[in-house]
Amino acid sequence: MSAVEHVTCLGCGCACDDITVVVERGRLTEAQRACVLGTAWFGDGQVPQEIRIRGRAGTLERAIAEAAKVLTDAQRPLVYLAGDISCEVQRDAVAIADRLQGAIDSLAGTAGAGVLAAQRRGRAGATLGELRQRADLVVFWGVDPGARYPRYSARYAVDAVGLAAPAGRSSRRVIAVDLGEARGPADADGRVAIRPDAEVDALGTMRATVQGRVAGTNAALAPAIALVHEMTQARYVALVADAEPGPIPLDPDRAEALIALAQALNGRTRCALSTLRGGGNRSGADAVLTWQTGFPFAVDFGRGYPTYRPHAGAAERLAGGEVDAALVIGAPATLPDSVARGLAGVATVAIGPRASAAGWNPVVAVDTGVAGIHEGGTAFRMDDVPLPLRPALEGEDVRSATATVRALRERLEGGA
Amino acid sequence: MTTPARLRIAGGTVYDPAHGVDGVVRDVCIEGGGIVAELPAGAPRLDVRGMVVMPGGVDIHAHVAGSSVNHARRLLPEEHAADPAPAPRLVDGPPPRSGTGGTVPSTFATGYRYAGLGYTTAMEAAVAPLAARHAHAELDDTPLIDSGFFVLLGNDDYLLRQIAAGETARARDYAGWLLGVTRAYAIKIVNPGGVAVWKSGGAGGGRNVSGLDDAVGSSAVTPRKILETLAGAANALALPHPVHIHCNNLGQPGNAATTLESMRALAGQRAHFTHLQFHSYGGERGKGWKSAAKDVIEYVNGHAQVSVDVGQVMFGSATTVTADGPVEHLLYASSGRKWVNVDIELETGCGIVPYSYREKAAVSALQWAVGLELFLLAQDPWRVVLSTDHPNGATFLSYPELIRLLMDRAYRDDRLKAVNQKLLAGSALLDGLAREYTLGEIAIVTRAGPARLLGLSHKGHLGPGADADVTVYAPDADRAKMFAAPRYVIKGGAIVVEEGQLRRAPAGARLAVRPDYDVAVKKDVRRFFDDYATVAFENYGAEP
Repeated sequence: MSAVEHVTCLGCGCACDDITVVVERGRLTEAQRACVLGTAWFGDGQVPQEIRIRGRAGTLERAIAEAAKVLTDAQRPLVYLAGDISCEVQRDAVAIADRLQGAIDSLAGTAGAGVLAAQRRGRAGATLGELRQRADLVVFWGVDPGARYPRYSARYAVDAVGLAAPAGRSSRRVIAVDLGEARGPADADGRVAIRPDAEVDALGTMRATVQGRVAGTNAALAPAIALVHEMTQARYVALVADAEPGPIPLDPDRAEALIALAQALNGRTRCALSTLRGGGNRSGADAVLTWQTGFPFAVDFGRGYPTYRPHAGAAERLAGGEVDAALVIGAPATLPDSVARGLAGVATVAIGPRASAAGWNPVVAVDTGVAGIHEGGTAFRMDDVPLPLRPALEGEDVRSATATVRALRERLEGGA
Repeated sequence: MTTPARLRIAGGTVYDPAHGVDGVVRDVCIEGGGIVAELPAGAPRLDVRGMVVMPGGVDIHAHVAGSSVNHARRLLPEEHAADPAPAPRLVDGPPPRSGTGGTVPSTFATGYRYAGLGYTTAMEAAVAPLAARHAHAELDDTPLIDSGFFVLLGNDDYLLRQIAAGETARARDYAGWLLGVTRAYAIKIVNPGGVAVWKSGGAGGGRNVSGLDDAVGSSAVTPRKILETLAGAANALALPHPVHIHCNNLGQPGNAATTLESMRALAGQRAHFTHLQFHSYGGERGKGWKSAAKDVIEYVNGHAQVSVDVGQVMFGSATTVTADGPVEHLLYASSGRKWVNVDIELETGCGIVPYSYREKAAVSALQWAVGLELFLLAQDPWRVVLSTDHPNGATFLSYPELIRLLMDRAYRDDRLKAVNQKLLAGSALLDGLAREYTLGEIAIVTRAGPARLLGLSHKGHLGPGADADVTVYAPDADRAKMFAAPRYVIKGGAIVVEEGQLRRAPAGARLAVRPDYDVAVKKDVRRFFDDYATVAFENYGAEP
C-alpha cells in the first residue's frame, strides 16, 4: 500500500489539492478528503488500454499514422479539447490545430457567455483564497455550490478561516439569492427571492442604486435594492454565480449584469465576482488557447492565423456541417451533449481517457491515462490558479496522453 | 545559409560599449553559441561591411507572460482580430506558429516580434508567486528570447507580518526561499503596501496608501519599511539585480515627491526604480499637473547606486496592466474603459485597463514629454534604460520610433510642436533640449546598460565568453527605420533573422536565481500556508 499526498482533483473547478490518494496493488482504493464528485472522478484508477482503428484493435504506430491521415485529408478539421488533460497536452493540441489550419474549441466554451461578457466589460474578481481571506459578505446568486462544487464553501468562500475572517463561517454573513428553482444554499443567514424573468432588471437596478442613480420604486425589486444596500455596507463582498449551464437556460445578459454590478460596488466598497467553472482542467484550455492564439475558445486557424468565432464553436460547426474530421483530445465522457451529438456524423480521432468507449464510433481511438491520476503536468483551478498534478498511478503501464498527442503532433509536423 | 558552428561577422562597425568600442570597424567571432576572440582564417564569414553591429537587445522591464498578461490578452479580442500574425516561414528548427498581435500579443508572436527588433533577452516584470508556474509555461512558449521574471513581493501578507514583528532576517530568508521556489530572477515591489490596503477593503475611501509613512494594517508596517526590508534582502541575498521598484502614487500629480523620498529612503543601497516617467510629475492632486522630470533625474544623476528605466509613453494604443490594483481602479473610473481587477490571495493584485495616449490630450502629451526629459537630462546612460513598460506606455514595437526621438532633434522638435502644450510649461523639453543620443549611447540604453544592471555578465556585450547574441543593422538616416528592421539577428549563435526575415525560432533559455538562505524559514512559511493558503505548500511555486 502506498499513499500520495497533496494530490490535485479535477472533479470540478475547485481543483482541491489536499487529497491523499491511497494505492493498493495498482488500484486506487481511497481518495481522502475528496467530496462525492472527487471520489467518483478518481474512481479506482482503472482505465481501458485499447487502441481501435476502424473498430479493430491496432498498434499505436498505425493509429497515429491513420489519425494523421484522417486529419490531413480533411478540408475543415476540428480539434476539440475535452476534459482531464493537462495544459502540456493542450499546448500540443493547439499546435496541431495551427498546423492543420483547423478550428479548435474546448470545454471552456460551455461558459462562453460569461467570457464574452468579460471581454466587453472586464471583470472584478479575485482568486478563491482572497475571498477566503477577506469576504465578510458572501452572496450566492442563484446557486448552491454544494451540488456541483461541493467543497467550494468549506475550502474557499465561507467556512475557512481567513486573515480578516478569523472565525471562518461566523465572521461572515451569507445571503442566498433564489431565482425560482435556482436557489442559494439552504443554510444562508438571509434569503432574497427574485423572479427569474426579473433577474437582469434586478441586477441593473442594484447597480444603479450603488451608483446613486434614481432607480424608481418598483416594489418587486425592493428586496434586491435592500440587498445591494447591505452589500455596500460590507467590507469585502464575494458575489458568487455559476458560469456553467444548468437545467434552466440563463438570460444571455445575466453574465454582463453581474460583472457590471461587481465593478460598480468597487466604487463604494470592495467586491469580487466569483464565477464557478466545471472541472477537467477546462480553465487550463481557456488559458492555453488565450496565450497561444489571443482568444480563449472557438478559434479558427483556417486563414493561417487565429480568428475568433465565439458564436461558431464546436457544437455550432458540427451542427452546421462545417466539419469533416475531428480530433477529440481528452475524456469523451466530459463532452457537452451538443458536441457529442455532432461528432456522430464525422470522421473522428479520439485520444484520451476511455476514448475507446466513445459513443460516436471514432475512426481511431487511443485510450490514455487521466491527467492527475496517471500522468502529471499542470492544471488550472476555476480562478486561473495553476496547480501541479501528482499522478498516484504513474508508470502503471497506462499509455500517456502527453506522449501520444506529442507523437501525433510530430507526425503532422513531419509533413505526413 | 544554414547556421555554421563558427561564424565571423566581418567588417561591420561595432558598438560594444562594455568594452569601450564605439563605432570601430572590426570582426565579431562566434563559436558554439558564444563569442570568441578569434577564429581561423577559413571560418565561414558573414559580410556586414557598412553595417552597424551591436549586442542583442535586452529588455529590462516588459509585461509579456503570466496570469496578468493573459487576463489582458483575454480582454482584447478586437485587437487580436485586427492584427493577425501568420506563421513565419522558417527554414529549420521548431515549426513556426501563427498568433495575434495588438498591444498584448500571443506568446509565439511576442518572441518573433522581439527578435524581429533585434532583442534577444527580455524580463517579464511582474509575476505573482502563486502564478509562477503559469508564467514559466508562457515563457516556454515564447521563442527566441532568453527570459526570466521578477516575482512580486511587498504586499504579501506573510512578508508584512514579518515586518510588523521586526523579523528582518526572516523576511530576507523568505524572499530567498520564494525566489528559488518560483524560479524567479529578481524581487519586484509594486506600490509597496498600497495593494494590500486596496485589498483589505472597507466602505468609503482610503483604499491605497499616499505616502511612505502611511500605516499598512499595523503602524509598524509602512511603505518605507517595506522598501527598506526588501532592498536590504535583495542586497543581502547578493541577487544579480537589485530590488526593482514601482513606487507609490503611480500616475498622480505631485508624485515626484514620493519618488524622491523613496530614493532617499534607500540611499546607500542599490535599487532600481522602474518606469520612472510615471513617477515624475509635479503639481497637486485636483490642481493640475506639470513635469518634475528635472528634479527626479537630477537625483538619479547624483547617486550612482540608483538605476532606472524610463517607461516612455508613445502616442497610440496601449494596455495598462499592473499589480497596482488601486491605480487601475482610478483609471477605470476616469476613462470609462473596460476594467479587470483580480485580487491575488495573500500576495498582490492585478489591474488592467486598455488605454490610448493622444497627442492632443494634455496629460498624454505631458507624459510623453516627461519621459523624453528624463532621457535627455540623464548624465549616465548606464543607469537610465530604455523601456516603455510594455504594453503600459506603448508596446515594445515602438522602441525604434523612441530611438529616433532620442537621436534626431529636428524630428523631436517637430513632433513636440504637434502635441498639446497645455501642461508643458516648465518642461525642459519646451526650453529646447539639444541633446541627440549617439549610436553608442543607444547601444548602452538598449543592451549594455540593462544587461549590466541585471547582472547578466554574458549578455549585452561582444567580448569573449558572451552569448552569441548579435544584431546587425543597415544604417539609415531615419533611425526608426533602421532599428525597426535589423538585417541580421544572431541568437545563441543561430542566425535567426537573415536579410531582414525571421528564419529560425529556437527556444530561449530561462534566467533564474537560486539564492542561499536559512532554510529554517520554510517551517514558519508552511505554518502560515496551513493556516491561510488555498494551495498546499508542496504544490506552491514552479519547481519542475
